[in-house]
Amino acid sequence: MVDPRMVTDPVEPPYASSNSALRRILAEAWDHLWPWSRSGFQQQRALQAAGLALAMAASVVWVLAAMGHLNAGAIIGWWFGWSVFEILIRLGSKPYVKEGPWWGKHYRHANLMDMICYVGFKNLLIGAVLFLGLKSAGLLIV
Amino acid sequence: MKLYTALRGALASVLISAGLLALGLSAAPSASAQTAYEAALPEGINSAPALCDLVACGEVLPGATAFSERKGQPRYVEGYAEVDGKRTLLGYVMLSTDITDTPAYSGKPVVTLIGMNTEGRFAGVKILKHSEPILLLGIPESALIRFNDQYLGKFVGDNIEIGRSRPDEDMIGLDAISGATVTVIAQNQVMMMSGAAVARQVGILEPTIRPQARFVDAGRALDWATMVKEGAVQRLTVKAEQVGLARSPTPFIDLWYGYLNHPEIGRAVLGADGWRALMARLKEGEHALFVIRTGGIESFKGSGFVRGGLYDRVQIRQGQDAFTFRDLDYLNLYGINAPGAPAFTESGIFIVRSPAFSGAFPWKFMFLGNRVDRETGARSFANFDTEYWLAPSYLEGGRPEVKKPDAPWVRVWKMRALEIGLFSALLIAVGVVYAMRDTLTRRSTRKNKWPVNVFKYSAWIISIGFVGFGLLAQPSITQVLTWFHSLLFQWQWELFLTDPFIFLFWIFIIVTVFLWGRGLFCGWLCPFGSLSELLFKVANAIGLKRFQFVVPMQWHNRLKWVKYGVFFGLLAVSVFSMGLAEKLAEVEPFKTTFLVGLFNRSWPYTLFAAGLLGLSIFTERPFCKYLCPLGAALAMPSTFRWFGLKRKQECDSCHACAKGCGSNAIDADGRIDHRECMLCLDCMVLYTDDHACPPLAQERKRRTKSGLPLTPIGADGYFIPIKPVPVRAPQA
Repeated sequence: MVDPRMVTDPVEPPYASSNSALRRILAEAWDHLWPWSRSGFQQQRALQAAGLALAMAASVVWVLAAMGHLNAGAIIGWWFGWSVFEILIRLGSKPYVKEGPWWGKHYRHANLMDMICYVGFKNLLIGAVLFLGLKSAGLLIV
Repeated sequence: MKLYTALRGALASVLISAGLLALGLSAAPSASAQTAYEAALPEGINSAPALCDLVACGEVLPGATAFSERKGQPRYVEGYAEVDGKRTLLGYVMLSTDITDTPAYSGKPVVTLIGMNTEGRFAGVKILKHSEPILLLGIPESALIRFNDQYLGKFVGDNIEIGRSRPDEDMIGLDAISGATVTVIAQNQVMMMSGAAVARQVGILEPTIRPQARFVDAGRALDWATMVKEGAVQRLTVKAEQVGLARSPTPFIDLWYGYLNHPEIGRAVLGADGWRALMARLKEGEHALFVIRTGGIESFKGSGFVRGGLYDRVQIRQGQDAFTFRDLDYLNLYGINAPGAPAFTESGIFIVRSPAFSGAFPWKFMFLGNRVDRETGARSFANFDTEYWLAPSYLEGGRPEVKKPDAPWVRVWKMRALEIGLFSALLIAVGVVYAMRDTLTRRSTRKNKWPVNVFKYSAWIISIGFVGFGLLAQPSITQVLTWFHSLLFQWQWELFLTDPFIFLFWIFIIVTVFLWGRGLFCGWLCPFGSLSELLFKVANAIGLKRFQFVVPMQWHNRLKWVKYGVFFGLLAVSVFSMGLAEKLAEVEPFKTTFLVGLFNRSWPYTLFAAGLLGLSIFTERPFCKYLCPLGAALAMPSTFRWFGLKRKQECDSCHACAKGCGSNAIDADGRIDHRECMLCLDCMVLYTDDHACPPLAQERKRRTKSGLPLTPIGADGYFIPIKPVPVRAPQA
């Protein structure tokens, strides 16, 4: 039976039941930054391995940018490419998003659009912080 | 049958106009090729001595037949005419970017050629290049030309502002361009700064005479560290990346400077004898400052300096007055006496020979450079400065009071304070009303939704009349794209603050999207969305209901993705070509409807906007649901709104709310898609209506039949259960 009170079916990530707020916050932070999971890796080994490689490449791009060897367009292109791939990875490994207040503990199954919105928004924030950080440090010139 | 005929007719109208619009857009580049939008400037325009060989100076200084090379600092050219066989000075021509790099709304300057006659009156203005998206398609470029024409004949020393003239304050007002306020405010700054800078150089504007400083001389022997701490010496560092060069650990130039007329500073830098000798050379009202280079290899004296010429890399500015230095204003500086002074590789003393300068008032030391565009290699003017103001303890009676003029954006906020107040009140009121939705929906019933609708309809009407047509504050996807570009190139808060209504609207949008989703903006306050739904409601009320239709759910579920495609398409295109993205953003009929006016644009745009509004008569918000890129951009973060609408378990099989949902936001399982929901609150009215919500009505009937009381409806949408309490046994 479908529960219409939830936008999609509820899901409980492994850390959601933790009573320690600090542990949950750290686990969530890790969840935002690390898209892979053991179960996901077993299900889509090739895709996730390719994802790891792409993540490394994207990280190298940020490092190159920090060293002043890449322009803004190249970083945006890489970051966009990585974001597309992260959506695919997460749909296989961590297919859930938070529901309701961000300080709450409700999670639900993520459909494709939920995951696009989540990864797009998260990576926009991460990208903006890194981009502005590099720019204000004078490491990135546009 | 009628419904399908209406649907076919309306859809055909929109499709035809969309097709024509696309044709118009595809034809736009050829038209815009003659405009100044991102026009290619002649090579060397920023540096060539013979400026008027490259641009048509004669157009801005009518009658002039010959022009000098660039001269002065900031640079200008003189225009001459042959009168009775004699070469007569007619006026001056200046390139705005030689004087100021004030950015307009796009974050880039409007490159303007300005002519001024010898009396200091503007003689001509020509836009050579701009990057203003609003002038690309929304507002014709001729509007900016007409705006500039308002300057013709006006004196450069007048107080000219955007807005109404205020004769009692000696203020001359210029008519703004509706929808391009930021652009014209920036343009006014460019015109007045450029004109005044040249007028002061050529003696048309008299410099401000400031009272001279009286120094406190406590006889202290200052070391370098103390002077740095007390601000008696200041540093100006220009990094390589600031002038468009590759990042380098070595600065482009690193300068220290200070004011030598003050006895303590002068003695510390030059030694007692050196300072006395310098002061002996200075006449009344003359001032000396020292400059040393402690980093970088670029010379602050300029590599092209020639005897009798001008030092073109340094100048000082006090208020509106700029002071430049010629060769006779320079003295050698061989060493710094103060203990702890840094090693330097270039040094000099410059003398300000003007009584307009005063050491008691703040002034700026400026390094004038060129910024190199990495892609094109083109050079543009850039200046770097730091402020110098002697500490109060260095001046008898302390620092004089200095009233700095308000920044342009502050003037706009002050000028429109009443409208800003009303607009803010509207935003707060709508937020508060929505926060009280539970109270309002409980007072409403399916047959009487006025407790909710009175607020919603009022918000629509105010939004259309006051916000849309009055303030022209229609948020648009172009603003999102502009922010994206500003983030990449030059983010300036001042730029966004110059349009207070859009600025405040976006704060409201960001806050409410994360609280409740996009529906509060889209469904209650978007001027175009409000107009669209109001048309639908009015048509319903006046008897056109029989022609109205709901797009079948299976089609809605396909069509709703179109707007996301439009949004991502615009975003992707903007990365490669902002200009093209701005053109394609015409998919929003906002400019046509509110900013420019339905009848002020070419017919494909009018047909498109009118077609969408016409279609809105027959089906609810077709543009908002299927095309709006701004709606799509706001729908995505709405996935993570904090507070959603309520549902009951029975909603999975009961479709009472879904049938009445104008947004088609409730699916077959009774779940609400918060990305599509416009927060009309119709389903929330049913949620607590015990005559309309089937599970509640059923319970009401059961209780009534059984003679049980109808308890209040709880937060879960059910009657509060009656819990029988065991009867206490009578006490013995």
